[in-house]
Amino acid sequence: MMNNMKLIIKFIAITFAVSCYTLSLGANQEFEIVIQDHLFFPSMLELPAEQKIRLLIINQDPTAEEFESYELNREKVIPGNSRTVIFVGPLSPGEYPFFGEFYPRTAQGMIIVK
Amino acid sequence: MFLDAVILVLQEIVEAALLISVLLVLTRLLRQLWPTDFNLGNFWLITSALLGLIGSWIYARLIPTISLWFDYVGLEVVNAFIQTCIVVLLLMLCYSLTRERLKKYPQLSKLTGIFITLVVSLGIIREVSEIIIYVAGITSQPENFAPVMMGSFIALGIGTSGGILLFYFLLSLPSLWALRSCMLLLALFTGNMASQACLLLTQADWLPYTPELWNSSSLLPEYTVPGQLLYALIGYEATPSILQFGCYAVAAFLILISPLFKIIWFSKKRSVNSLDNYEI
Repeated sequence: MMNNMKLIIKFIAITFAVSCYTLSLGANQEFEIVIQDHLFFPSMLELPAEQKIRLLIINQDPTAEEFESYELNREKVIPGNSRTVIFVGPLSPGEYPFFGEFYPRTAQGMIIVK
Repeated sequence: MFLDAVILVLQEIVEAALLISVLLVLTRLLRQLWPTDFNLGNFWLITSALLGLIGSWIYARLIPTISLWFDYVGLEVVNAFIQTCIVVLLLMLCYSLTRERLKKYPQLSKLTGIFITLVVSLGIIREVSEIIIYVAGITSQPENFAPVMMGSFIALGIGTSGGILLFYFLLSLPSLWALRSCMLLLALFTGNMASQACLLLTQADWLPYTPELWNSSSLLPEYTVPGQLLYALIGYEATPSILQFGCYAVAAFLILISPLFKIIWFSKKRSVNSLDNYEI
């Protein structure tokens, strides 16, 4: 039992130390995606590989949308007439489709990492 | 629009429905296991449904404000906080409940009821608030109202049926195995909550990026029906990060070494009725 607790405390301590180190790293590059009429603009976004990216998503529609990507492992509700930030990466080169879960037939896009 | 509504609402509902079923079976069998000491009824189901629905409505109204907090990552932080609360409450439940303690502190049954009520309410708030935002937005266009409402009700029916199916399946097992299954599912559910909280904090850049541990998206994609069901039941992820898996494993492990898990899992008796005098 004590050994288990020690292991768990070690895991938490290492996680905390790595978090502090990562958060102390420099600023991330920012890219912007706009949602308008249930479409993403741009629908094709090119991002640099192996870098942490700050995606600024601006929803210009009056209704909410949910940004979702299984490949990026990201999901977030964006209220209407609002903006939000999602951090992605560092990503390997490849294609990462994303879509709006509330309007999946129109709101579709692709992130291409090079 | 109808099919989109069915899929979206079902994704949100199924997790809560399965959790409620597991907790209903668990409390029912614990009443059989400790008939003189554990007297928690099913009042928590109605209380948590009411609290959850009211809380969801309030939370849905607050989401536009919350999402602006912490430089636009407030939603991730608050959702991760809700999920961490669920993890802590489930751990408190599994670490506080033993027959010895029930005999010593008769009010422990009520406290267990409060833990379970809070767990289910928070789970409902997290899932149903998204449904409210979706339905409120999409039905603002009158032509969407009928298909979306119909789709939502059908999804509610399917989700509830899934929960009822799991409830009766668990009850059909020999009682001790039903209890063991409940505890195992509870451990996996707790791991899932911890993993989701970790993912949200990584998305908000409050936790560091760690490489993905495996990629099973070609074998079992998350968007398929089995993928979604496994996600709801055991927190299946096709591309989990090392940190996510670590959080999942620690939370599930803490349940697996809890006194309640040990009492239930390591008993060699076949039926809970014959466990009356069994103590850890």
